[in-house]
Amino acid sequence: VNRSKRIAVTSPQTRLAHGHRRASGHWRAPRLDAGDTSRALSLYHGQRRPAVLTLAALAILLCGLPVVFALCPGLDQARLLGIPVSWLMLGVLPFPAMVLLAGWQLRRAEALEDER
Amino acid sequence: VIAALAVLPVVLITVLIGVRGVATMRTTSDFLVASRRISPVLNSAAVSGEYLSAASFLGVAGMVVKDGIGALWYPVGFTAGYLAMLALVAAPMRRSGALTVPDFAEARLASSALRRLAAITVLVIGVLYMVPQFRTAGLVLSAVSGTPYWVGVVIAGAAVSVTLALGGMRAATYVQAFQFLLKLVLLVIPALWLVFTVGPMVRSEAVHPVEFTHFAKNTAVTFEVDVTLQLAEPTPILGTDGVVHVYPPGDLEMGSGQHVVFPAGAPVPRANGGRLPGAPGWERPLLDIGGGGYPLLDTLAVLIATVLGTMGLPHVIMRFHTSPDGRAARRTAAITICLLSVFYLVPGVYGVLGRVLVPQLYLTGATDTAVVALPSQVDTGWAGTIFTALLTAGAFAAFLATSLGLLLVVSGATAHDLMSGGLRTLRTAVVVTAVVVVLLALPAAPLDADVLVTWAFTVAAATFCPLLVLGIWWSRLTAPGAIAGVLTGLVTVSGSILVSLFGPPLGGWLGVLVARPAPWAVPLAFAVMLLVSRTGRPPSWSRDAMLRLHLGDARPVTNPMPARPSAATYSSP
Repeated sequence: VNRSKRIAVTSPQTRLAHGHRRASGHWRAPRLDAGDTSRALSLYHGQRRPAVLTLAALAILLCGLPVVFALCPGLDQARLLGIPVSWLMLGVLPFPAMVLLAGWQLRRAEALEDER
Repeated sequence: VIAALAVLPVVLITVLIGVRGVATMRTTSDFLVASRRISPVLNSAAVSGEYLSAASFLGVAGMVVKDGIGALWYPVGFTAGYLAMLALVAAPMRRSGALTVPDFAEARLASSALRRLAAITVLVIGVLYMVPQFRTAGLVLSAVSGTPYWVGVVIAGAAVSVTLALGGMRAATYVQAFQFLLKLVLLVIPALWLVFTVGPMVRSEAVHPVEFTHFAKNTAVTFEVDVTLQLAEPTPILGTDGVVHVYPPGDLEMGSGQHVVFPAGAPVPRANGGRLPGAPGWERPLLDIGGGGYPLLDTLAVLIATVLGTMGLPHVIMRFHTSPDGRAARRTAAITICLLSVFYLVPGVYGVLGRVLVPQLYLTGATDTAVVALPSQVDTGWAGTIFTALLTAGAFAAFLATSLGLLLVVSGATAHDLMSGGLRTLRTAVVVTAVVVVLLALPAAPLDADVLVTWAFTVAAATFCPLLVLGIWWSRLTAPGAIAGVLTGLVTVSGSILVSLFGPPLGGWLGVLVARPAPWAVPLAFAVMLLVSRTGRPPSWSRDAMLRLHLGDARPVTNPMPARPSAATYSSP
């Protein structure tokens, strides 16, 4: 049996907490070459768009729902399967909406990275 | 008592894991590689496992009982935070190579002053986030086993700090991923059992809220903390002496540890000036804590704090490092949203059932224990006991997972960013931090969980959110600007919440904005960071430092391990 290698098995959290003075004194100014710079610039501009769109959609969802609730108190009386519609709109609806939004954002971001 | 025994295995297993590491994991030769190449699905389960704290497992349902359906905005905000993280922070943060926000601050802005300030902020957020965890542990233990509040807090502090100080958290990813499954199962199955067992009457009452004005049956109440009851009409109360006294309308002081019984039909007093569960407005899907009259502002303030605060939670950021690259970190964030979305469908069920079955918890301020109090109300036999035990175990799993991650991050920040010490310093820091949190949690019993949770999230939203967002997306951010912004956020948020807790009572919209400062403090921190950065000149490498974070993961990272050791190395008998 090969007994030459024994490896400390720790989680990244423990490794971080144990590793001290790792970063100090070794900082170097980051430099990118011309090719990397132009690629990074186009990725930066490209990624900004879907990120802003996702956040805007999220803001509309999260700020819109309370306004709808405030304007339409009738939603508390309307019932679906015996449960007030407004409860379902708060307790259930936002979650699939956020999952869809996350899926869209993820696909956009990865597609952008693949084409550049 | 049997329910209390359920806590024991959870605590024991956690301590054992801490001391021994997961022995079986060592037999898989590529564990170290696996922990760097961890799949996004597994990692997101671990993120969720660490993120779903006692506040999620118990607190949301408790807030629904006390404050109404509007409390369901909290889980929505907790989940939406990952969407903001996915869009803005996850991939660039991972590419920076930084494991914590102090690391990120130094990598991006090369300022050791900012690093220390960020470490102090980690300390503040971590401690604020841990106090409600410890508080809930104390409340739950006293609810299921009748021990005083402080016993639970001390046991919790001891379990967490011993685990960390002895062994650190090995094999944490698998444990945390397992924790998520455990919590999901322990929350969903009792919920289904409750919904089917309570019968059509309770189910109908649950969706047709009425004000809790009179006790439906003889109700025993044990006060864990000092409470002032406001009696509106003469109220009969059975004291410990076995005699029914009728108390006149007015204020009635209840000391901690006092045990009384309200006979059936007695009117329900108000506690500490709050509204009664099910009072008009309870069924509104907007947050209106204490009936301040500004539900829209209240709701938006909580949303801003939770959505923007999530990306600054130190234990969550650390977990993203387990992803091999920026792409996997992004996927982890996306899958985490799916997992949280499933989990957060359930606490509301406990909330609406809790309002019907255990509304008296509101009197003692212990609505956080509604989840574990429910099964015994539905079934007094063995089934109720078993489900109480399951839920208690789940609550402790939630508490331990979050506290362990947080305590490690907080002590790491103290030992390595502030004091730059070694392993010994870290171990001391773990114990000292745990003692400080226990001492802070002991007088925190009367505080509402939502105050503490909002506080931690708002500090994160007003400090780390602008630092990360501007650091990743704005090349002209300077170190003095970042320092000014983080300081502004830290001081204004903490000052504002301290004023709302200990200052003169403020009413109206001013009161809401002082108790929940996110709507003005977060924009203020952003503005200070932008303006101060504008007055200075960023260093020449600033643009490259930012662009580096957006460069894709095209170049494959070479395997740091020269060769894989064979499985036989570890598993040979």
